[in-house]
Amino acid sequence: MKPSRKEDFRLVTGHGRFTADWHFPNEAHAVVVRSDRGHARIVSADWSAVREAPGVLAVITAEDVAAEGFGMIPGGAMITGSGGQTIKMNQMPVLATDRVRFVGQPVALVVAQTLQQARDAAEQAYIDYEDLPAVASADAALREGAAQLHDSAPGNVSLAFDKGDAAKVTQAFAAAAHVTKLTIRSQRLAGAPMEPRGVVVNHDAATGKTIVCTPTQGINGMLASLSGISGWPVDSFEVNAQDVGGSFGLRAGATGEHAALLIASKRLGRPVKWVSTRSELFVGEWHGRALTLNGEIALDADGNMLAIRFEDVVDLGAYNCYFAGFIGTNNLSVTMGGVYKVPALAMSSRLVYSNTVPINAYRGAGRPDIAFAIERLVDQAAAEHGFDPVALRRRNYVPKDAFPYTTANGTVYDSGDFEGVLDKALSLSDYAGFAARKAESASRGRLRGIGFASYLEASGGGAAPKDQVSVEFGGDGSITLFGVSGPSGQGHETSFGQIVADGLGLPVDAIGYRASDPARTLVGNGTGGSRTLYGVGSAFKNLVPRIIETGLPHAAAALGVDASAVDYRDGAYRAGSASISLPDLARKLGAANPHPLNCEAESKSGSTFPNGCHVAEIEVDPQTGMTEVVRYTAIDDLGRVISPQLVQGQVHGGVVQGIGQALGEHVIYDEDSAQLLTGSFSDYVMPHAGCVQNMRNDYHLVPTQLNALGAKGVGESGCTGSLPALSIAMNSVLRAHGAPHMDMPFTPAKVWAALQG
Amino acid sequence: MKVELTVNGQPRSAQVEDNTLLADLLREQFGLTGTHVGCDTSQCGCCTVMVDGQSVKSCTMLAAQAQGTKVVTVEGLSPNATEFEQLHPVQQAFAACHGLQCGFCTPGMIMATVGLLQRHPNPTDEQIREGLEGNLCRCTGYVNIIEAVKVAAKAQEAGR
Amino acid sequence: MYPFTYHRATGVADALARIAQDSGAKLLSGGMTLLPSMKHRLASPSQLIDIAQLPELRGITRDGATLTVGAAMRHAEVAGDATVQAAIPSLAAAAGQIGDPQVRARGTIGGSIANNDPAADYPAAVVALKAVIITDRREIAAQDFFLGMFTTALEEGEIVTAVRFAAPKRAHYAKFRHPASGYAMTGVYVAEFEAGGARDVRVAVTGAAPSVFRWEQAEAALGKRFSVESLAGLKVSEDGLNADLHAPASYRANLARVMTLRAVAQLTGEQA
Repeated sequence: MKPSRKEDFRLVTGHGRFTADWHFPNEAHAVVVRSDRGHARIVSADWSAVREAPGVLAVITAEDVAAEGFGMIPGGAMITGSGGQTIKMNQMPVLATDRVRFVGQPVALVVAQTLQQARDAAEQAYIDYEDLPAVASADAALREGAAQLHDSAPGNVSLAFDKGDAAKVTQAFAAAAHVTKLTIRSQRLAGAPMEPRGVVVNHDAATGKTIVCTPTQGINGMLASLSGISGWPVDSFEVNAQDVGGSFGLRAGATGEHAALLIASKRLGRPVKWVSTRSELFVGEWHGRALTLNGEIALDADGNMLAIRFEDVVDLGAYNCYFAGFIGTNNLSVTMGGVYKVPALAMSSRLVYSNTVPINAYRGAGRPDIAFAIERLVDQAAAEHGFDPVALRRRNYVPKDAFPYTTANGTVYDSGDFEGVLDKALSLSDYAGFAARKAESASRGRLRGIGFASYLEASGGGAAPKDQVSVEFGGDGSITLFGVSGPSGQGHETSFGQIVADGLGLPVDAIGYRASDPARTLVGNGTGGSRTLYGVGSAFKNLVPRIIETGLPHAAAALGVDASAVDYRDGAYRAGSASISLPDLARKLGAANPHPLNCEAESKSGSTFPNGCHVAEIEVDPQTGMTEVVRYTAIDDLGRVISPQLVQGQVHGGVVQGIGQALGEHVIYDEDSAQLLTGSFSDYVMPHAGCVQNMRNDYHLVPTQLNALGAKGVGESGCTGSLPALSIAMNSVLRAHGAPHMDMPFTPAKVWAALQG
Repeated sequence: MKVELTVNGQPRSAQVEDNTLLADLLREQFGLTGTHVGCDTSQCGCCTVMVDGQSVKSCTMLAAQAQGTKVVTVEGLSPNATEFEQLHPVQQAFAACHGLQCGFCTPGMIMATVGLLQRHPNPTDEQIREGLEGNLCRCTGYVNIIEAVKVAAKAQEAGR
Repeated sequence: MYPFTYHRATGVADALARIAQDSGAKLLSGGMTLLPSMKHRLASPSQLIDIAQLPELRGITRDGATLTVGAAMRHAEVAGDATVQAAIPSLAAAAGQIGDPQVRARGTIGGSIANNDPAADYPAAVVALKAVIITDRREIAAQDFFLGMFTTALEEGEIVTAVRFAAPKRAHYAKFRHPASGYAMTGVYVAEFEAGGARDVRVAVTGAAPSVFRWEQAEAALGKRFSVESLAGLKVSEDGLNADLHAPASYRANLARVMTLRAVAQLTGEQA
């Protein structure tokens, strides 16, 4: 057997280093005091008993944050919306000042010698809350007379946004032979990476440097937000994240806990460590999704799509944080036509506050949601108006000779073969044989449903202007790559190493990768938006010729020939029968510092358009409503597959997160009090081993010209395809029983009740 | 109180509080940070270790309860391995089958698999599903983990 | 956890004496429920008295038509024990469905029934198999033991030492697993006894109500004829059943009926 990845050896032997595994001498321990009210005024808070408790070293509150001159948690871009309005920006404070707006909002940080002492002390906190009426969802927040969260946002609306040609769409609907309307809800989720997040901060007053050990999705994003909140220079931080136990979009930026720990470490002059508990994480980490998508589709008599319109309600949670605004605007609109040629598109959205944990990007960040809403709408239209679902898709796909294709709302799809993808999916899933399988299920008293969905998404454009990477050579012949994107399971050490190793003709073991940047000059994007392999990978591909050309004059000198006589092939510089391998050349030049072969490269890569067709087959036990995914087929157009096993792993992982959302995951709040009801894995339903049977995946690749690798990004594809495929499969079962359309999660109790009629 | 036990084949002892969890004894005092803490309701399985030959959740055991027992953590499956081929078959299988991504659930998943294969050396799909019921993974979707269990089972059978 | 003193009991008498001296003391058996609640600071005993290894509380013996299981026997032990498998195979199977493998390696029957979690599996077995709960001071019949949610007939400090089950002619435990917690969203243990030509059926339902209950209507019907058909048209009343985020009372009532049908079908070979 051989390991799939370089990182595997340390991870399977228990030598990974996650945040809780970092230890500093003399470290103190912190606990966060969090609001236990959904919406309340802080009348007064008495920390004296906490401060006097045994072992307590410090209590950091909003006063300390103000005294340090810290800012707020980044609220994301100042997006312009309908009629030129600017988003009402209500950022989350590092620690609550006079008001708490969600259960879990950090109020104070208690630091003590031991964790036990910190916990004991925190219990002594006395906070006098005056409860305010709360709204536990965007729907509730929009009602007449609802409690208002922020003075600047009447009606709890942070932004009204629209995109597309509303007038053209209205005309199209007026002329349409067939119209279908459907409201699709993508429920609030907890990302639940397996590593409970934490932060260790070690501020050294003598040097003014601060070490921060924390999960990230790339150090630049973490550095920027740490610096942005604290005002401390970017250069003064060193961010360490050797192993990150999952992130899925949630851990790219600093939070109130990071900031409070900076203050604590600075004040105490010693390292301070905070690691969340899992229960704490359900209120202490950004939530995902929470979208209501009111969709309408207009077709002509033959089934040609005339227009698609969406009116969306986007729950922001209690504050604007990081990426949520982008989800509700750009991400719900840029690909709102999906894989179809739709002459008229329009959407509008309202971004709404509620007394819940703020929302941030979670695997797909709105793109799986809109892709799934489109497919549900198309599927529903087929059922309502008597079209064959496959034929309706075929008729309306952007044909493969139509690329580059500009959608009605201005997005340019560069490449694709949607029909080819569909054909492969229908074939591999044995779609044609479904009837027989359905009959077999029926003989066992089970209802079998099948759903296929074509999806498309835009991978991340990348906020940074380019992705830069560098390489350092060692006098021992070592070759280490550097980048600023951060892995959390994607296998960057392996895939980036692979790209460079393949290009240089060296074994992949000869190349190392570190997600950090000692020279502090690299510009680049963090991991996210399914763009890292192609974005940063393209930069690494560009690095190969840079390395070769950098080494050429040195190799010529080493071989005692003119540079023009040297070429590079299969890991070595060659001149006639003489040669010197790249590692040997590195060794030879090792005395010089910096190493003469060190160099950089870059690439600019924008969005690409991964797409695919997934087919889900479910079996429902009508007596209990229990649903199993008995067959799942994923065909994806990812442009080019560099590391097949790693790509497949991303597909599996994304599909199963989709299964989680489809069959059970749901963050539920009490409507009146905005108390969180699903506060642990005892109530938050997670997928377990065996949740998908007969999983198969394959590719139908149409390489993109948009980056050097031809790759389209895969990280979020799995859930983008699975949400609609599973929803359509379930709704086909319900429809066959005369039950109305149902939103996820399709829990046993809900499914059973729906089938009772 | 003093606790004496065998950890990864070595006799170890430590002064602990009565309320010290086994997971914390292993991680904090013995520096064996391969065992991870992923939840606080004993459901995620990231903390799974072997105690007297059975896979258990070390976050739901007191160090005191482990007095006199033989504990094996993920670090102890192949403690002297420097090369991949020297690793325990379960470790090799997980790495070969890409049965891990971020690696956080992996030690617990591996130890649960070791336990599973002890009970069922040639497990059916159902037995694998049951055997991993107490372990959560968020990255892999479990597909390759299940494959890794099967590959490990074959490797162990072949090795007999 | 809050601080406490840990003591490994040297015998049941030692455990009893310690409890008598310290009203804040709690018994520790498997710890699968107690330790998590202590970690959440919901329970704060001053002392934990570990009784899990006491020989007096261990062992499995068969005596004619009864099977006695020591209170400190782990779920995995009961599931894998040859004597249990021979005498009451459904009990081994039921124990094998509790929680997950790691929980089964530690959790014990005594701890489970003394706690009486409304969604635990063992209470259904105890009631269906007409068990007698043996304690340090008396014997309590199953029907008198489970009083309400997390409440049993045990007195302060009373220690369960063993559970004596009646071996049925045949029995089966049909469990609908809670998708998040792994407990029984509803589990039904159906046991058919035959003595002197008379049939006596128990249908014990756990997970649906605050405490395990018998579905007497089904018992009577199955007593007349042990067949799925006997249950046609019978329903479990929703009254008093648990309703929560995951399922309304009507759903649990449905599950109770369906699991009963499936348990019977498993035994008769009929279609449920």
